[in-house]
Amino acid sequence: MALDRLLNVARKEFSDHITSRRFIIILGLLLVISTISIYEGIEQYNDSLEAYTEQLQHVQEFEDPYSSWMPSKPSIMYVFMSMMSYMTMLGGILAIAIGFDLVSKEKETRSLKTLLSHPLYRDEIINGKALGGIGALGFAMVLALALAIAMLLVFSVVPTLDEFAAILIFGAVSLGFLLAYFAVALTMSTISKESGNALIYTLVIFFTVSSLLPMFGMMAADAFAGDPPEPPEVSMPQGVVRTVSSSGGFYTSSVSQSVAYDGTQDPEWTAYEEEMKTYIEKRRFISDVSNLLSPQMNYYTVAIAVTNPQIMAMMDAPYGTAQEETPGLAGALGRVWMNIAALIVFPSVFFAATYVKFMRMDIR
Amino acid sequence: MIRTENLTKVYNGKAAVDGLDLEVGEGEIFGFLGPNGAGKSTTILMLTGMIEPTGGRCFVDGIEVAKAPLKVKEIIGYLPEDVGFYGNMTGEQNLDYFARFYGMDAGERKKRIAELLELVHLDGVAQKAGEYSRGMKQRLGLAQALINDPKVLFFDEPTANLDPEGVREYRELVTHLAGEGKTVFVSSHILSEVREVCRTVGLLAKGKLVAQGTLEEVARALASPDGDAVRIVVETREHLPPIEDPAIISVEGNGNRAVVRAKADIRDRLAATLFEQGLHVREMRVEEPEIEDVFMAAYRR
Repeated sequence: MALDRLLNVARKEFSDHITSRRFIIILGLLLVISTISIYEGIEQYNDSLEAYTEQLQHVQEFEDPYSSWMPSKPSIMYVFMSMMSYMTMLGGILAIAIGFDLVSKEKETRSLKTLLSHPLYRDEIINGKALGGIGALGFAMVLALALAIAMLLVFSVVPTLDEFAAILIFGAVSLGFLLAYFAVALTMSTISKESGNALIYTLVIFFTVSSLLPMFGMMAADAFAGDPPEPPEVSMPQGVVRTVSSSGGFYTSSVSQSVAYDGTQDPEWTAYEEEMKTYIEKRRFISDVSNLLSPQMNYYTVAIAVTNPQIMAMMDAPYGTAQEETPGLAGALGRVWMNIAALIVFPSVFFAATYVKFMRMDIR
Repeated sequence: MIRTENLTKVYNGKAAVDGLDLEVGEGEIFGFLGPNGAGKSTTILMLTGMIEPTGGRCFVDGIEVAKAPLKVKEIIGYLPEDVGFYGNMTGEQNLDYFARFYGMDAGERKKRIAELLELVHLDGVAQKAGEYSRGMKQRLGLAQALINDPKVLFFDEPTANLDPEGVREYRELVTHLAGEGKTVFVSSHILSEVREVCRTVGLLAKGKLVAQGTLEEVARALASPDGDAVRIVVETREHLPPIEDPAIISVEGNGNRAVVRAKADIRDRLAATLFEQGLHVREMRVEEPEIEDVFMAAYRR
């Protein structure tokens, strides 16, 4: 495979994408929605920052030697949490829009036969097409992030070095998510003879892995984990129940922690809590395994770890001892390594299928 | 320049090309004839390195195509049947994209593309290729086949979408290219098209080469299913008496005119016999079968 031929194909594909009407329209829509939600995110961030300053002043005014509680400073990464929901919808559509007719259109217009008569190998064509598409999605992602950072700076919100690194990681994860659907669309475009069919097959897979699969995961968890343990008939001990919830797009999660403070916990309740913990972990394991096949769910999980590591830490210990300290970005990413791996494996499998199919394609 | 040895391509257990042995010399204009589905396009796809043969080998300029398809593609030009282009690009942009695969620099590309667009009368056309008529696409197809100044040209049904003026220009172009020493391989199912430009032909039927040579040689080889029978037309001023000769197979007579089927050309003997009988011969000739009829019969076999 020669680099110059590969780049020739990739450059043409990239140029075709960024000048196509459909790409410009969807990207424009993505950027407009991005601008609005980032603006709202910045407003919320400023409100949180104001509340944090007040709490800090309050703590300093009433110096309580017995209290070690300190308010936590809000992170600008909360601004990016709002990007997740529309990225999964509009970003997914953008990825599908640039991929679904990449090969099928060439078959329909017979330009593939003309191209193949010139000195280049088939793998250079398919790799060049993939590279051009990845470039176009990368370009869209860079534009969206550049816009977000520009807005932060306009509103005098300057990210720290750590936050800047988190923004870049968030961008990379979002690009990984877009590549998942681009790879699906490219595969369907290679398999199908007509672009219309390729689009339909891609949308079927899109909705299956984004909506149907998480639902099946929940149903499987219900079926395999059985009924939850029954609580003891004795009265519930005094305690504190803390609930944390996070939502984005289709995805809502909530975790609860029950902590007994009086030190006189009933042994039956302790046993019940242990059983409940095992039950929840079992359910969660089944659901998580199923969700690994869904780029949406993996994206949400990893993106939450990047934008809000604290929630991720609490979700990770739903019925155990929660970490009181905010975990670092590296720690949060370490917890979701399987989801990161799944985000890499999913498009890789589809790209590999595309490659094999394209190399064996009948071009008569 | 072009050679195949037992070339075979099998699709789903059925041979599209079956043990093809073919040879085309340098500078020849070779017509590859055959009905639709005979395996002409499949043969061209193997010769141009776009598909691999199931069996056998093919060579272009001494290079084995399956082993070095890119080397072959660098010295050939191919005009596919129903040629397609990128509809969002102009003709010039399409040609520029293809020219880049030959390592031509920007100046070289610009010069070559301008020459070719002028040659096919598409210079100054600013339309996108998606808006081209079929004839315009065919002309652009000719230009893209010539982009690398190839030694060998493969044209698959080249006149299918051309108007009469386009066909005339295409014929002139092919003759001109052959004059430059290029080998031209024209695949078509239209005999009249091939006989206009081609010096030698090969007839393919059901994946097999039925005959190869000049048009007359092929026609003769295909002409008679009953050996070397010669048809002699005889016409005299007087009524024709019964004709007898050991070489005669049959005589179909009608008054003063007859068609004699003989094992050999016996016109001299026949003329002497008629003269001895005092008959005045008005016409005596060997009847050549119509080439179209011969090919049509071969297509149907």
